[in-house]
Amino acid sequence: MDRRPSEGRGGSIYDLGYRGYEGPRLGRRAAIWALLAHSVRTAYGIGRNARSKVMPVGLAVLAVLPSMLALGILMLVTTLNAPAEVVEAFSPVAYSTIFPFIAILVFLFCASQAPELFGRDQQMGVLPLYFSRAIGRLDYAAARFLGLFASLLVLVLVPYLLLLVGRVLVAPDLFEGLAEELPSAPAALAVALMTAAVVGTLSSAVASLTPRRSYATVAIIAVFLVPNIVASSLVALETGLVGQIAAVLSPPDVLDGVNAYLFDARPDNITVLRAGIDGWVYVVAAFAWIAGSLAVLARRYRSMVV
Amino acid sequence: MSLVALDGLTKRYPGGVTALDGLTLTIEPGIVGLVGANGAGKSTLIKILLGLLEPTSGSASVLDLDVATQGLAIRQLVGYMPEHDCLPNDISASDFVNHMARMSGLPRASARERTAEVLRHVGLFEERYRPMGGYSTGMKQRVKLAQALVHDPRLLLLDEPTNGLDPAGRDEMLDLVERTGTEFGIAIIMASHLLGEIERVGQYLVAIDAGRLLRAAELHTFTQHTGTLIVEVDERPTALAEHLEGAGLHTGVDGSHVLVELRGDETHDQVVDAVVELGLALIRVEPRRSSLEDLFRDTAAPDAESEEESDEEAAA
Repeated sequence: MDRRPSEGRGGSIYDLGYRGYEGPRLGRRAAIWALLAHSVRTAYGIGRNARSKVMPVGLAVLAVLPSMLALGILMLVTTLNAPAEVVEAFSPVAYSTIFPFIAILVFLFCASQAPELFGRDQQMGVLPLYFSRAIGRLDYAAARFLGLFASLLVLVLVPYLLLLVGRVLVAPDLFEGLAEELPSAPAALAVALMTAAVVGTLSSAVASLTPRRSYATVAIIAVFLVPNIVASSLVALETGLVGQIAAVLSPPDVLDGVNAYLFDARPDNITVLRAGIDGWVYVVAAFAWIAGSLAVLARRYRSMVV
Repeated sequence: MSLVALDGLTKRYPGGVTALDGLTLTIEPGIVGLVGANGAGKSTLIKILLGLLEPTSGSASVLDLDVATQGLAIRQLVGYMPEHDCLPNDISASDFVNHMARMSGLPRASARERTAEVLRHVGLFEERYRPMGGYSTGMKQRVKLAQALVHDPRLLLLDEPTNGLDPAGRDEMLDLVERTGTEFGIAIIMASHLLGEIERVGQYLVAIDAGRLLRAAELHTFTQHTGTLIVEVDERPTALAEHLEGAGLHTGVDGSHVLVELRGDETHDQVVDAVVELGLALIRVEPRRSSLEDLFRDTAAPDAESEEESDEEAAA
C-alpha cells in the first residue's frame, strides 16, 4: 500500500505499511533444492540444538577413526624405513576391509536420523504446509531421501578419501603413490554409492511408515538385523538354495557381497563367504532393494492423508 | 475473475461419509466467511482447493486455475493456515517461517526479508528466535498465519484461525485477519463455525451444512434477514405477547422473552406503550441478530421464517 509521508515541522514519518513481494519466485525446482539442503542439515543436526548433533556427529567421528588409525600405523612403519611388504602387513585397514565397520555406522546413522527426516514432519503435522506449497508430495519424498543419501555419502566417502590421501602422502614418491592408490578409487566410490543408496532407500521407506520416532528406529534396526541373523543361521545350517535366498534378502549381506565383488576381495562376512553366490547376484539384489524401497516410499507419500 | 468456482463438487470418504455433496458455487474476491457446523465440510472444501484431497466428482477452480490439473500453480499463489497444530516445537518461528518461504520458491535473501516482515506484521518480536515449543496458543496461531502470508499469496485459506484462543486472543486474531484482507488486498476465505467471527471480518458469507450449500450472499443480507425485537419483561410475557398480537404484530414467547416482529421504528413505541398499559417492568429491548442456528433451522423448515429463532449469539 502506497502512502504519502505526512509532512511536518519535525520531519516526515513514512508508514510503509505492508509491502507485497514483487521479487522472483523460483518455484518447484528451487524449493526441492532448498528442502534437500535442509534435509542434509537436519541429518547432521546443523541449526538444531546440541542434543540433536550428538548421534550424527559422533558417528561421523567414529567413521574416520579406522582410517586415522591405519594412517598412524602406516606413518610410523614408514618412518622406520621398513620394506613395502612389512608396511602392508602392519596396516590392518585397507579399502576393502574398512567397509564392515563403516556399514554398522551407516545403519546406526539411519536408525537415528531417518526418523528425524521422515517421522517428525508427520508427527508435528507439518506435511499439510509442505504439500500446499510449491512442491508436490513425491518432490517432498525425493528431496528428503536425497538429503539422507547425500549425508550417508559423506559419512562413507570421507573415511575412504582420508585413507587414499594419507596413503598417497605417505608413499615415498607422490606420483608412484597416486599410481598405486587411484585404481582403488572407482571401487571405493561404487561401494559408497551402493551403500548409501541401499541403506538410505530402505531406512527412508521404513521411517516414512510411522510418525513415531522410537518405532521407526526399532523397525530400521530390525530390518537390518533380523534378516541378517536368519541368513547367517540358514547358511550355517547348509540349507543350500534356501540359505542363498536368505542371504540375498538380507541387506547387510547384500552390501558385503557387493563390496567383495567390487574390490574383487575375499568376503570378510562368513555368511557371504559360505553362501557361495556369484558376486553380480548381490549387485542385482542391491538394485532390487533400492527399487522396492523407493516404490514403498512413493506409495506412502502419494496415498498419505494429510 | 472468480476467486473460487465449484461445479457439482462432491467428496465421499472411504467408509461412506459424504463430506461434500454436489456443491456448486462461485465466490468473488474479497473477505469471505465459510461457515458451517463442525463436520459440515469446511475443511474438506479447503483441502480440495489446495489439492491436498482429491474430489470424488465434480470440479473446482481457484483463481481460474483448475484444481485437478494446475494444482502446483494454485499452491504458489495461495497461503494456507490449517486448523490443527503444524509447528515443530524445537525450531524457532524465524527459522520455520524462513524455511516455509523457501518451500514456496522464494530466493534465500528474499525469504529472510519476508520472514522478518510477516513476523512483525503478526506481532511476534523477540520471541521469534525462541523454539516454538514454549509458545502460547496465541503466538502459535500468529506463526501459523505468518507462514501462510510469507510468500505474499493472492488468496489466504484460513481454517478456524481462532481455534483454541481466549476472547482477547480471538479479537486480536480477527483484527489481524481483517487488516490482512483490507490493507494488503489479499483475498481471504476464512472457515469458522462461529457466525459472529465472520460478521466481524467478512464481506461475503458462504454457509454450508452436511456438505450442501445453504446460502451464499453478501453478509448484510444475512443480518437484514432478522427483523425481530427481543423484549424482556419481569413477568407475564404471554400477556404482553397477546396484547401486541392485538395491535397486529406477530409475536412469540421464549421463556421470559417476547419476540416481536420489527416493522419499523414505530414497533418500539408500540412495545413501550403495551408494557406501560399492562403495568409491567421493562428489562430490555434489543434487536435480534441472525445466528448460525437460525440459518440451519430455516433450511430445515423453510416456512418457519424469522419468527421462531433461538437466542444464540443475541448478546453482541
